[in-house]
Amino acid sequence: MLACAAGWLLPALALADATADGIAHAKRQIDKHRAKPVFVAPGAAFDARQCAAGKKMLSIPNSSANPFLKGIIKREIEVGKQLGLTVQEWQNQGQPSQWAQGVEFAVRDRFDIVNLISGVDPKTLEPQIRAAKVAGVKTMTSHFYDPSQPQNPLVAASLPVGFNAIGKLLADWVILRSNGAAQIVVIKSSEVPPTEPLLRGLHDELAAHCPKCKIVTEINTGVTEWATKIQPSLQSTLLANPGVNWVIPIYDSMSQFVVPAIQITGRRGKVKVATFNGTPFVLDYVRNGEVDMNIGESLDWIAHATIDGYLRALCGLPVPKDIGVPFYIFDAGNVKDAGVPAQFDQGYGSDYIAGFRKLWGLAQ
Amino acid sequence: MSRKHGSTSRASVGALVERFALLGAWLVVIAGFGIALPGSFLTWQNFAVMFASQAPAALLALALIVPLTCGDYDLSGGAVVTLAAVILGVLNVVHQQPIGLALAAALAAGLLVGVVNAFFIVYVRIPSLVVTLGTASLVTGFVQWFSDSSTISGLDAGFVDWIIVRQLFGISYAFYVAALVALLLWYVFEYTPLGRRMLFVGKSREVARLNGIRVDRVRAGALITSSVLATLAGVVYAGVLGSADPFSGLNFLLPAFAAAFLGATSIKPGRFNAGGTFIAVYFLASGITGLSMFGIPLWVTSAFNGAALIIAVTLSQFARGRAESDLG
Repeated sequence: MLACAAGWLLPALALADATADGIAHAKRQIDKHRAKPVFVAPGAAFDARQCAAGKKMLSIPNSSANPFLKGIIKREIEVGKQLGLTVQEWQNQGQPSQWAQGVEFAVRDRFDIVNLISGVDPKTLEPQIRAAKVAGVKTMTSHFYDPSQPQNPLVAASLPVGFNAIGKLLADWVILRSNGAAQIVVIKSSEVPPTEPLLRGLHDELAAHCPKCKIVTEINTGVTEWATKIQPSLQSTLLANPGVNWVIPIYDSMSQFVVPAIQITGRRGKVKVATFNGTPFVLDYVRNGEVDMNIGESLDWIAHATIDGYLRALCGLPVPKDIGVPFYIFDAGNVKDAGVPAQFDQGYGSDYIAGFRKLWGLAQ
Repeated sequence: MSRKHGSTSRASVGALVERFALLGAWLVVIAGFGIALPGSFLTWQNFAVMFASQAPAALLALALIVPLTCGDYDLSGGAVVTLAAVILGVLNVVHQQPIGLALAAALAAGLLVGVVNAFFIVYVRIPSLVVTLGTASLVTGFVQWFSDSSTISGLDAGFVDWIIVRQLFGISYAFYVAALVALLLWYVFEYTPLGRRMLFVGKSREVARLNGIRVDRVRAGALITSSVLATLAGVVYAGVLGSADPFSGLNFLLPAFAAAFLGATSIKPGRFNAGGTFIAVYFLASGITGLSMFGIPLWVTSAFNGAALIIAVTLSQFARGRAESDLG
């Protein structure tokens, strides 16, 4: 009898211990990203003005209609002006043929750097990048690869982002807020390259630190189908699975279709949302209580870090192993720091500006 | 004589089957998923949610059948959905204007697009496909500029409340807006001289003209009505989402055309009709909802949409001896 009770009790106690340990681990990770981001120099100081003098960079975003990328380039232009680096945007509507034209334009107009930002996969432009390399134009990527992914061999330098770490952070938030008992629906777009490392991080963290958490289903939609597919399929999933208490749309612009699905199925307050990107309208959702948490990055910080990393590559200095822009967690407690309505760059602090200026040898 | 009578009665049974085949298919889909998922699919809440969230798609499909009946395509419908939603968002949220003013501005903009379409199609005599493709692109560009390519959340709470939170028989008001428009179009198409004139214009413009119908006026009216209804779809869409974004409405265009053509195989086979279109939207939505509840990957739902359309149109063609179709 005693043996029987022990046989039942011991695994239950072990599960409770594992859950408590998981919650404690998640809290430690979350606390690191709740503090205001602190600037850490990405390398040794160097004369950035001398390195950048007379140089030209063509920035090609995934699409000029994407305000996140547009915002980064706008800030790159401003940072470039301080250093004597001419930064120009290659306006496009997200078509690979337009990206190819951009690289060809950079070769013809004797640019020094082609900057492929977030979502422009060098794999789709290999002939153009090869031709650029022959012509002495360096192609670099930023905010595209995860550090675990190998960069395309034709790319001169790359500044990866820890998408895997983002996945882990999303998992930690859900573990912490659900007390280690989350039934999760993940909304993903497998076609976007960062999705794989991000989801790997999410799965690994849940497996390692939350024995009672479960991913009920993963809804995979192409980016162009977000509007028509996310809301109806999430509604169906929520109605079919009343135990679901968390939704993780891995890119926060998906939230505009997630929030109404939760509302229309009468699950507001019962189903919480955690997401990534820090897009202003989603931060407004956080302020209104429709989204529980959003992990953000400062666009201006990304612009500074990109130019810093690229100039190091251009002038033969060691390139940082990643872009080094901290992830900052916005929740109900601090989202007002992002502005009302929220703005792209507010709430992250500004000591990185002084940090970079000092690093580049500019007057404070 | 009796053989003739027998073949007539067989034909009328065939016609009856054709008229209600889509409705029957919808009931079969509901029954199938209901048996497989009784606790989740076959609930009033599931249907209430589906009816409300598909209201913008239903409105857009209804908008498209108006010019389609007159033989014109309106490819700008999806862009007008986005235009209306974004005008609401920018004026109401960014510029803090009252929701009534924002609604009036959205309606005026939709009306303007309809007038521009009508001018180039009817007066300048450029094919509707070309003109509306152009205006769709033009409107999309304007929308991106006007919204700074950003999604705008935080629409007037009273407005959102009215569209999606308030309910009648457990279904949000959004559904009743679409249902009312469907009823109105059904009445116009079936019981008014205007409906008959539109049909004649769609069948043969020249014959209609020789019969004294003011073809240009009918076509222009249909194009303007289409834009106004697409605006209404955009307004309801913004209410359902509680936000406005500059891209997503465009994705509703092809499914809406699919629903319009699928709808033309039932109720009044061979004609674009409001009842058939309305049923088609919810038939497709029911299939997708059931498949989603099964956890089937979303590519299957795209395949379901396409297969349903092709199979329905094919069966309809066989039912009437593969006669030349007036559709498209």
